[in-house]
Amino acid sequence: MLRQLGPFIVASVPIIILLLIVLVLIFATGFANLGSSFWGSDWNPPKAWGIAVFVVGSFVTAIPALFLAMAIGLGLAIASTVYLPRWATRILDPFVDLLAGIPSVVYGIWGYLLVAPYFGKVLNPWVYAHFSFIPGFGGRAPISDGLGLPISIFLLTLMALPITTLLIRDSLRSLPRELWESGLGMGATRWEATRRIAIPYGSRGILSAGFLGFGRAFGETVAVAMVLNVMAAYPVNFYSATGTMASQMFLNLDAAFGSSSWLAALSYMALVLLAISLAVNLIGRRLVARVVSYEVAGL
Amino acid sequence: MANALGGAKETLGEELLYDRSARTRWRLGFDKWIGRLLPLLFIVAILPILDLVYYVASNALPTLTWTILTSTNPYAPDALGVPIISTAEMMTAATLVAVVLGLFGGVATAEFLSDRTAAIVRTSANMLVGTPSVVLGYMGYFLFCVRFGWGLTFIAGAFTLAFFMTPYIFRIADLAFTSIPRHIREAALGSGARPYQYVVRVGAPIAFPQILNGVFLAMAIGVGETAPIVLTTTASKVLPTGAFSPVSFLTATIWENFSQPSGSPEIALAFQAALLVVIVVVGLNVIVRIISARYQRRLEGLFQ
Repeated sequence: MLRQLGPFIVASVPIIILLLIVLVLIFATGFANLGSSFWGSDWNPPKAWGIAVFVVGSFVTAIPALFLAMAIGLGLAIASTVYLPRWATRILDPFVDLLAGIPSVVYGIWGYLLVAPYFGKVLNPWVYAHFSFIPGFGGRAPISDGLGLPISIFLLTLMALPITTLLIRDSLRSLPRELWESGLGMGATRWEATRRIAIPYGSRGILSAGFLGFGRAFGETVAVAMVLNVMAAYPVNFYSATGTMASQMFLNLDAAFGSSSWLAALSYMALVLLAISLAVNLIGRRLVARVVSYEVAGL
Repeated sequence: MANALGGAKETLGEELLYDRSARTRWRLGFDKWIGRLLPLLFIVAILPILDLVYYVASNALPTLTWTILTSTNPYAPDALGVPIISTAEMMTAATLVAVVLGLFGGVATAEFLSDRTAAIVRTSANMLVGTPSVVLGYMGYFLFCVRFGWGLTFIAGAFTLAFFMTPYIFRIADLAFTSIPRHIREAALGSGARPYQYVVRVGAPIAFPQILNGVFLAMAIGVGETAPIVLTTTASKVLPTGAFSPVSFLTATIWENFSQPSGSPEIALAFQAALLVVIVVVGLNVIVRIISARYQRRLEGLFQ
């Protein structure tokens, strides 16, 4: 151990940064006691500091995005590993990886100026007109600016998609050739071999894709801050706005300047966000032995 | 002649070998059609990215002139020179810090730590990558800007950005050294090289392309980051004059101007900044991809 001490000090950079983040945030709270209202639903500075609204908001935006990204990612991964010829995947796969490289603020400006008006004028009214009988899709009519949950979920889906696709693709490709061939040799179609052999075999990798994709959507800040119309209220239905922890922290730091309990509330919120993100990340990475593709942002 | 996955009947000459049941035909048909439909999902991935690039470019290019790109006039509403140069300076500073921290850390992890210690360090690097950037921005704000008293300045932003980029470089430096074939390491150590001699004389030349890759990747991720920069710097209309002066950044320029009315010079500026960032990010990603492919081939050569 002693011989390792020198190298360990050099190598421990990530541990030090991680500890620094946690300690700085803990001390930034000043150990302020914000009262029992902290886990409540009423965020009304400087009187009430209920962060439940934002915790719920983070999950409400990230979970639908996760399901969409997993479904589409599974389809893309199966298409590119099983059905498409090699030359086609060589052209198509890089586009998916490229989605991970687009900065979130660029997604934000595109979403805010081009996609949101489309959601507001076309898509949301159409869904409202035809599906308002489903609970959560009726009620208050959508606003024509289009900012709100649907566009946020759409952008988060695009951002989580490369991670889920890539990890699912990796886990499908890790299937030993003999298993694949014996399946086909028994008379299974390619779909049946995928469904009954490749997917069960790669289930851990597919599950980890879910966790890491969720982590990406859960912590996304700037794009959501631009298109969600962030406010401290629970969503009343599918078309309404709400707030996520990350976007609220991002937009609120200026306002909190000089108010120690406001800063403390935001720091506590940062700790909650960090704890959930790290837990999700840790579980996701435990599921796969080693992520191979470091060359994709956020993975 | 239909193949095994095709037609309904297999024949050998005149003789009918077998007639497929309705169930078999359905199974084969399902496989065929899902194989045709699933690739259509690529539209979901490709259409947004093409639309985004087209939209940004079509809004940025008509008003883009050489003067806008180079002008550092603080009174012009449409000058991009300051954000461009400031971004380059910030990225240089942040990359230097991140390379020092990440490179030595990654090499030490790969070469000098026991497996168990290395696993702990790697896990924490992975967790850093999974940390939301806004949380890192908060850390930078509270530590550098408030505790150290640096204020919302160049140096606070650069250090926050460097901490953000470090784990990416760290992981790739680590990966580059661990993926060097075992026999090469053993040959070097067996012929009397000390571990550090192996790292410098043998390992470094082999790992260099991939480490360069990690640096480019970290730069691509760093230059597109917004939250840590906006939280730890103040926007400025002039070039930074020192480490403790306010500074602008391309992504921050987009953030400050995106809600301006359409047709204003400010919104055009936001689009031009977005186009530049996309070009830089995509360019770096392409370089990373090319280097990565070459490095893989080179490694395969080492196994022979």
